[in-house]
Amino acid sequence: MRIRCPYCGERDNGEFSYLGDAAPQRPDGLEASAEAMHDYVYLRDNPAGTIRELWYHASGCRSWLVVTRDTRTHAIESVEPARDVARARRSGEAA
Amino acid sequence: MSEPATTPTPAFLWRPRGAWEGIAKIGGHGASADAPGIRLTLREGQGLATIVAADGREADLRAILAERFGLSVPEAGATAFDGERGLVWSAPGQWLAVSPTRQGFDALPAALQGVAAVTDQSDGRALVRVSGPKARTLLAKGVAIDLHPRAFGPGRAAVTSIAHIGVQFWQRDAGPTYDIAVARSFAGSFWGWLEHAAAEFGYEVA
Amino acid sequence: MTTLALQRAEPLGSASTAQAFRTAQGGLIERRRTLDFTFDGKRLTGCHGDTLASALLANGVRLVGRSFKYHRPRGILTAGSEEPNALVELRSGARREPNTRATMAELYEGLEAASQNRWPSLAVDALSVNALLAPVFAAGFYYKTFMWPASLWEKLYEPMIRRAAGLGRAADAPDPDIYDRAHAHCDVLVIGGGPAGLSAALAAGRSGARVILVDEDFVTGGRLLAERREIGGESGAAWAARAVAELQSLPEVRILSRTTLFGVYDHGSYGAVERVSDHVAVPAAHAPRQRLWRIVAKRAVLAAGALERPHVFGGNDRPGVMLAGAVRTYLNRYGVLPGRRVAVFTSSDDGWRTVADVLAAGGTVPAVIDTRASVPPQLRRMAEAAGARVVVGGYVAGTKGHLGLTAIQVVDGYDSTETIACDCLAMANGWNPVVHLDSHLSRRPVWNEAIHAFVPGPLPSGMRAVGAAAGLFSLSGCLESGARAGAEAATDCGFAASAEPAPATDPESEGHIPLWRVPRPKGKAFADFQNDVAATDVELAHREGFRAVELLKRYTTLGMATDQGKTSNLAGLSIMAELTGQSIPSVGTTVFRPPFTPVAIGAFAGHHRGKDFRATRYVPSHAWAEENGGVFVETGLWLRPAYFPKAGETDWLETVVREVETVRARVGVCDVTTLGKIDIQGRDALAFIERVCANPFATLPVGKARYAVLLREDGFVLDDGTIARLAETHYVMTASTANAAKVMQHLEFCRQWLWPELDVQLASVSEQWAQYAVAGPRARDTLRRVIDPGFDIGNEAFPFLACADVTVGGGIPARLFRISFSGELAYELAVPAAYGDAAWRALMQAGLPYGITAYGSEALSVMRIEKGHAAGAEINGQTTARDLGLGGMLAKKKDYVGRLMKERPALTDPDRPMLVGFRPVEPGARLRAGAHFLALGAAPSLEADEGVMTSVAYSPSLKSWIGIGLIRRGPERHGERVRAYDPVRDADVEVEICSPVFVDPKEEKLRV
Repeated sequence: MRIRCPYCGERDNGEFSYLGDAAPQRPDGLEASAEAMHDYVYLRDNPAGTIRELWYHASGCRSWLVVTRDTRTHAIESVEPARDVARARRSGEAA
Repeated sequence: MSEPATTPTPAFLWRPRGAWEGIAKIGGHGASADAPGIRLTLREGQGLATIVAADGREADLRAILAERFGLSVPEAGATAFDGERGLVWSAPGQWLAVSPTRQGFDALPAALQGVAAVTDQSDGRALVRVSGPKARTLLAKGVAIDLHPRAFGPGRAAVTSIAHIGVQFWQRDAGPTYDIAVARSFAGSFWGWLEHAAAEFGYEVA
Repeated sequence: MTTLALQRAEPLGSASTAQAFRTAQGGLIERRRTLDFTFDGKRLTGCHGDTLASALLANGVRLVGRSFKYHRPRGILTAGSEEPNALVELRSGARREPNTRATMAELYEGLEAASQNRWPSLAVDALSVNALLAPVFAAGFYYKTFMWPASLWEKLYEPMIRRAAGLGRAADAPDPDIYDRAHAHCDVLVIGGGPAGLSAALAAGRSGARVILVDEDFVTGGRLLAERREIGGESGAAWAARAVAELQSLPEVRILSRTTLFGVYDHGSYGAVERVSDHVAVPAAHAPRQRLWRIVAKRAVLAAGALERPHVFGGNDRPGVMLAGAVRTYLNRYGVLPGRRVAVFTSSDDGWRTVADVLAAGGTVPAVIDTRASVPPQLRRMAEAAGARVVVGGYVAGTKGHLGLTAIQVVDGYDSTETIACDCLAMANGWNPVVHLDSHLSRRPVWNEAIHAFVPGPLPSGMRAVGAAAGLFSLSGCLESGARAGAEAATDCGFAASAEPAPATDPESEGHIPLWRVPRPKGKAFADFQNDVAATDVELAHREGFRAVELLKRYTTLGMATDQGKTSNLAGLSIMAELTGQSIPSVGTTVFRPPFTPVAIGAFAGHHRGKDFRATRYVPSHAWAEENGGVFVETGLWLRPAYFPKAGETDWLETVVREVETVRARVGVCDVTTLGKIDIQGRDALAFIERVCANPFATLPVGKARYAVLLREDGFVLDDGTIARLAETHYVMTASTANAAKVMQHLEFCRQWLWPELDVQLASVSEQWAQYAVAGPRARDTLRRVIDPGFDIGNEAFPFLACADVTVGGGIPARLFRISFSGELAYELAVPAAYGDAAWRALMQAGLPYGITAYGSEALSVMRIEKGHAAGAEINGQTTARDLGLGGMLAKKKDYVGRLMKERPALTDPDRPMLVGFRPVEPGARLRAGAHFLALGAAPSLEADEGVMTSVAYSPSLKSWIGIGLIRRGPERHGERVRAYDPVRDADVEVEICSPVFVDPKEEKLRV
């Protein structure tokens, strides 16, 4: 596979390490419930189709990336910097 | 409690050891030693520093580097050099500052206080310059990045790996000439790859 | 006997000279450049431009090998990479290479080849009795015969099978050659150098696009070299040579010949292997033998051609039975007559081309057998004019000859049989497009009824199939489709390309009706030559219910040989279709996986072998350690000094004991550079550290360091280390050697994904700093002689856990941390790595008056076990902070990674194994890490298991073996005795549970 890092350009997948589903959000703070944390840590969708997932450009710029990929074909729709996605989410939550 | 502090050990012991010392052998090697396809120039004693911009302070960083150090800040995947002194993009908001002397960036941490984190890396990397008619072919053996002039020319930089060893390299001129930086502890293994890959072209180490 | 006569009989022209089967003229070989070679020790001569196969045939050698299972005599079936039979050993000694296809081996001066899978000789093979036992060796025979008793498998069955089966012998000395790896990128990758591929490369290359043409042959041109065809009034071979010359003149076009594209991977990635020096006896100095290419292409044109199909009839494996296309290749490209009397067995018009070519080369054609009910009259007239017996609507039922073909048994349309003498039979049963590469990404080929063959199904993104690979078998179709696809591919990449009209070609007819197997074969009719799978094996699989293609394949091993069934797959499938009354497309086909043809492991390994198998990281004190007899140990990628034997010390334990005792009594120095070191800066550095560490840091003042424990979000311990506060917003964290990269990745995850709002800057400084532990009662005295005057490192000014910037050697910046892993008065001194060697030597010299010792990772480990510090064996991904006795230090009033999940009932179960110490009840008894704890008297069982010993050491301080480990409710059980049971090493030791801190439990030595 080749993944187009938004900073480094297209690279072999060997440069990246894989984490998984980017959907779960960490329930931050002392008020967070154990149940919510359990779901965050363990519950994952496993779709045959498009999924947003986290990859780390370990051998490159060390950016965490959100890769939108079709699990059936490996076709990659988009690659976004995870930090930008996380910040947008935070500002969405604040708004 | 014990005897008072005695004289420090003699200064002659405090000789810096080059990153390539005991690894690279100066001279001609491999095939066609009379017309080597590769020149490897060991670049010891360079000043290197990592600059990581603080959040939202990139504009200030650019201003200070331009005004006080005469350095311009390159975009992603690029370098900005004035002679042998300049910046190499490393990661978002992060650059490797390169200077011909170890003292080149002594003033940086204070000047960038609050604007960027500066860490000395002068000893953390081993630097080698690769040139000669087969330089591009040689590098293409190691990196999975397109080095064709249409895709990667002078002023371009990349962080990647060669033979499973992390490297940062940048192109200095259209010759092409490349500078490669590799973590110091990996210098021996990296050199092993370099020798293996360069042998068929013949190479000269300076 | 008959065979030997035939090999040397009936010379054309001159008497039985060398190369008696070479034609008088023609071909693309250089007749004046002769090459001497040997086959099974016999000296033979060929020509420059020959393959081993063509040179053998030129010398009348038809028997080349023995088959895999039945040891049947086999010859040369094909002229290409699909060859299933003619596998030989090439070269000798360390360069001996088994299972090389003679059809792909380029002849060179002095080539040594040997037949394989025969004993004592090729002509007399003792194991050919297997053929008599054929009924025993039917499909599924391993599964049925060697099932019982199981105890005999390892001792008897497997060694027996391995001796009888298997093919060539690998070299038993290290390969002396160099294998190289390289990457290439292009706009358009063209796979195959035949008419379609050349047309595609020309159309794309002329536009300025970057083109790579990969061709497995050593002369580019594909079938144009093998057929007597015309393009635009010149010969196909001449046209190909001109096309190659033009491509070579285009600066952005690269032709990789002798290169097999063996794999298609996602997103336009391809694997190819270039045989750089396989065509010479020994590679030139420093030149690689082979080069593995990883190619990335925006577009690809698949022009891999097609493979001719054998007929399935009795004795179709006899040496002398060949594919008709291969016969033409030997005639037209190599100037070799594969036989004097070449009969043709065809189901297609193009089989008849063989008749004309044999006649043109001076051979005779005794018979043409066409399986179809009618044939074009002009073809029939041409054959009959040359004296050939023409049988229409008949078939070849069987063959005769001991070690090579002497006659065929022909059944005509009226079912009457006649025997026709011949020494070569050319079979033409149509062609299969090479669908291997386009199916590498699990895309199934689809059936094309018009050409009776599987053609590429949905193609991988960016790939186009052209010419014969797409089922377009006519030369004009190849030229036209190639040019069009080449132009389209270049256009896709942004180049202005257009396909020029294809040049005219000579007329051709494409009539074809396949015969999947003959109705009544005489003798064994093979579907798969390389794995010896006969039509009857497919019938057996059908009878026994293994009818699905995937089951058929595995039960019979059809298509599972190194040729991946290139000549056999469809034969097997079509027979199963007939038996089940299904159509071939409903039976379906298995898909192919990389590699297209076998690739030497050496090519994949490249430079990564021997000491370069993987990278090695060296510590800054390495040169000193080598000079001083250090013994090294691999720790991850690091090569660390394990211990430093002195003269007279006879075993490692003696050395380690001396090192530990010296540290505990005097002073020692140890290289701890391998720890990960992460610089953490920024406005929110503290807030960040508070969230990633489980213990509190808000109270850590500038100039102090603190032990840090990091959890994973699931509540288990990730790693431990120290964090030192160098300035208000500047910290440096250490991570354990093994986890350094993992911790950095985790911190980046927290910074970028979990809490992007925090202003934190991370930088790895692991490589910048050499770091040395200086430990022992005289550590301070030693350091005072190394650190520049003016820095007060006395106990009051620089107490336990202090940290400060200092200088050494007259102004060299350094960092000093008063931290201890050994439990002694100890410091860690960090200096810039370039001064690491000097600092080490300075410390050794400074400590000389105090009796300093260098100590390695073994003594380091002994001392940490004596202190009960958890390390890799305890922080193993399955332990919580509480398990390790660290529960008390965890923060109560902050959120951090792992906070909630560590409270899960199972992780707080009081019955969980927890860290304690163990000492043997009987003095001197040896403990073993990995031993399991059992109650005294309890029988060993999973239920009785109470925990495990994680680390042990011989403690010089206690003069006894000690251990630390995890046992249920450990901290409540001090003084209790249990068994440390280790059945693997036959050890069963009674131990007493104790505190894990064996030395200085009150920590008095730390703080002096």
